Amino acid sequence: MAALYRGRHRWKRINCLHIFSRKLTGENDYDLLVIGGGSGGLACSKEGEVLSLLFLNFSRGIFEEPANNMITFLLWLVYSITPGVFSRPTMAEAVQNHVKSLNWGHRVQLQDNKGHSESLLTNIVIATGGRPKYPTNIPGAAEHGITSDDIFWLKKSPGKTLVVGASYVALECAGFLKGIGLDTTVMVRSIALRGFDQQMAGLVTDYMEAHGTRFAWKSVPNRVDKLSSGALQVTWTDTQTGSEHKDTFDSVLWAVGRAPETKALGLDKLGVQLNKETGKIVIGPDESTSVPNIYAFGDIGEGRPELTPTAIKAGKLLARRLTGQSTELMNYDNVPTTVFTPLEYSCVGLSEEEAEKRHGKDGIEIYHAFYKPLEFTVAERDASQCYIKVVCEQGGTGKILGLHFTGPNAGEVAQGFAVGFQ
Amino acid sequence: MALLKQLARTRAPCWFLLRKQFFLSLCRRGVISSGMASDLSEITRFDFLVVGGGSGGLAGARRAAELGAATAVIESHKLGGTCVNVGCVPKKVMWNAAVHAEYLHDHGDYGFETGDVRFSWETLKAKRDAYVSHLNRIYRNNLDKAKIQTIQGYARFTNDREPTVEVNGRKYTAPHILIATGGQPSVLSDAEVPGASLGITSDGFFELETLPKRSLVVGAGYIAVEMAGILSTLGSKTSLIIRQTGVLRNFDAFISANCTKELQNSGIDLWKNSQVKSVSKTDKGLEVTVVTKDPEKKNDEEKISTIQGVDCLLWAIGRQPNTAGLNIGEMGVDTDERGHIIVDEFQNTSRSGIYAVGDVCGRALLTPVAIAAGRKLAHRLFEGKKDSKLDYACIPTVVFSHPPIGTVGLTEEEAIKTRGKENVKIYKTSFTPMYHAITSRKSQCIMKLVCVGKEEKVSVISSPDNRL
Repeated sequence: MAALYRGRHRWKRINCLHIFSRKLTGENDYDLLVIGGGSGGLACSKEGEVLSLLFLNFSRGIFEEPANNMITFLLWLVYSITPGVFSRPTMAEAVQNHVKSLNWGHRVQLQDNKGHSESLLTNIVIATGGRPKYPTNIPGAAEHGITSDDIFWLKKSPGKTLVVGASYVALECAGFLKGIGLDTTVMVRSIALRGFDQQMAGLVTDYMEAHGTRFAWKSVPNRVDKLSSGALQVTWTDTQTGSEHKDTFDSVLWAVGRAPETKALGLDKLGVQLNKETGKIVIGPDESTSVPNIYAFGDIGEGRPELTPTAIKAGKLLARRLTGQSTELMNYDNVPTTVFTPLEYSCVGLSEEEAEKRHGKDGIEIYHAFYKPLEFTVAERDASQCYIKVVCEQGGTGKILGLHFTGPNAGEVAQGFAVGFQ
Repeated sequence: MALLKQLARTRAPCWFLLRKQFFLSLCRRGVISSGMASDLSEITRFDFLVVGGGSGGLAGARRAAELGAATAVIESHKLGGTCVNVGCVPKKVMWNAAVHAEYLHDHGDYGFETGDVRFSWETLKAKRDAYVSHLNRIYRNNLDKAKIQTIQGYARFTNDREPTVEVNGRKYTAPHILIATGGQPSVLSDAEVPGASLGITSDGFFELETLPKRSLVVGAGYIAVEMAGILSTLGSKTSLIIRQTGVLRNFDAFISANCTKELQNSGIDLWKNSQVKSVSKTDKGLEVTVVTKDPEKKNDEEKISTIQGVDCLLWAIGRQPNTAGLNIGEMGVDTDERGHIIVDEFQNTSRSGIYAVGDVCGRALLTPVAIAAGRKLAHRLFEGKKDSKLDYACIPTVVFSHPPIGTVGLTEEEAIKTRGKENVKIYKTSFTPMYHAITSRKSQCIMKLVCVGKEEKVSVISSPDNRL
């Protein structure tokens, strides 16, 4: 079973859909329909206590999570021992069919219950998350390159690797590849860790460079060719000088962004509004989409942080709202996050740039310090990039707007402070 | 006039010292005032005199100097006090080494073939000592840069009317004197436990030249737990003798129970309900006689056991304040029955013009607390901030056990006692950290939030992962 999913598959082409369902009738047997069995989807359905209809996309992500794994596996098992009951439509078809059946039921019910204020609808929650993107305009990119999905399944070492991208995914992967002793290069089109505090981003990449990771700044790849030796030859342009360069690598890892899995769902047919640029679902503060009774949250929501704990919390709160237990909305402010680069970076709240934008340069006060972790002293390790920065409001109570920390165990350190931000 | 008198009394070698002292005194604002002319010849006056160059003393002195006070620090040993020399810093270095030892066990699981790895205590000690010396020098430089005078020696209050301190025959005074002499490990006398002096304390731990083969640690507080953990993890066969049934008895019961369990799981031989009766020296090492009696089983006889071949007996049974030689009684400075200086919330002692911070006061024996209290005091005395004081509530603290423990705020027991059981809500979790997902060695992480009232204000976070 799991073996079927090893190797390098293009998930866009093979979308396996496993449906576990008690009854598919026109009546509303289910209060909550959750599509997507990742962090958010599972938390939402578990909270809703109605694991009625769970569409599972057997992505590798799920297999990496032992806890989620179990539920997913059990459901898969149930499906596999009841063959022939279900066909294997594409996810889109199935969703559309089901929604249509629900709509029919909905219409019938409303007609029967004129003036009844109680809602008898099944709510549909889309939590299908995202997938790493492949560049579409670079010859050889898809054929010869891999993404973060694949890196965790490689049986052999990736060898000398080129990581294209400067997101946290790119830097983290490059970080651990270099850490285990592989020759690693990071190719950055413009800036690193876009969206993060840029001073902190600089410290993170400075540390990586000082410790042997090569950086090809302001460069864009042109093509990837496979040589007869099996090695990959990458040609790229240094956009600052205009010169072209070539080098060979054993692996090329594309970390150029993530895209939501919405095409397969056929959401456009349902009338769900998507952001044209990102393809993500446009949602309100209560996770509602442009179509009544259809909600979306997690990585697939436009403007939402792509983080598991956030998806879990949002999913739980959504389930509680939809089952009438509460009206509490998810608070997306001050969500702490950590970048697991060789020098860990963690932050909660606003970056210095964002704080300046909102309060003006004179409206903020920065407290900061470089420090030397005790762990580095005996080993005489270079601590030049270990740094703490607290961005505060100028005057008044000096409220803390953002906290930034680079150093060992940054994530654990920031977690405690994040509680204080709430 | 005063200078001539001074010079006349001294012998040649001291002349330079006095000249420097005089020069420095002249450099200070308001050092020599006309009101003092009668007894000036023997007493050097400062704005702020600090007895004790440890965490609290130095922080207070430096902040006072920044605020314009002419300051001097008296230190009998090394700058940095307990923390830098025989406490926090070297302890943490040893703990980090122990963490490396633990990680070595996990290397195989993570795909690294490391083969036979040998540990050299000597190498570690040399590097640790070098780092501590480096800090001593930094502290000295900081004082010099701040133009704070450093006086080496033991201080003792004199019988002078105005609070005056004598060091090596010279007298010093100031309208504000801070006592920050810290503390030292408690020991049992040979009268209390025959052979007790054959053991060492945490001070002695940092003088050990080699890893002891067989260690016996006595005590159930955080120092005992940390010492036992370090010794055991670095390879010493270690036993821990505790009088009751668990360690860290003043911590939240959940934390205390988990720590006790993890200690045993890590291979430390834990002796509950036990005490050391006597110690003797043999040619094979120390022989320690231990008495065990379970108070629950009143009819049982006490069991007497002997542990042989001990090459390190470490007493970690508590700490006591360094007030004995100060002669503060003469000054009217009150102390409690154990010698701790009694202070109010502003660090005032019972004698006007004399203050105390840090371990010598016996409350929250932690470096950051002493530093904060020292600084708050400096602001109150030299910046006119009348309300400047340290809030001693919710002070976070860490025990560097394996796994480490971090805690802040009230324990569940304290919360129930102060707010009533019906007002307390507990959130608990227990899990195996992802780090251990692929290691054969496992360790549990537990977390507890004690919340009070309708708003569920968090009272404590306890977690064996101290970074949190």
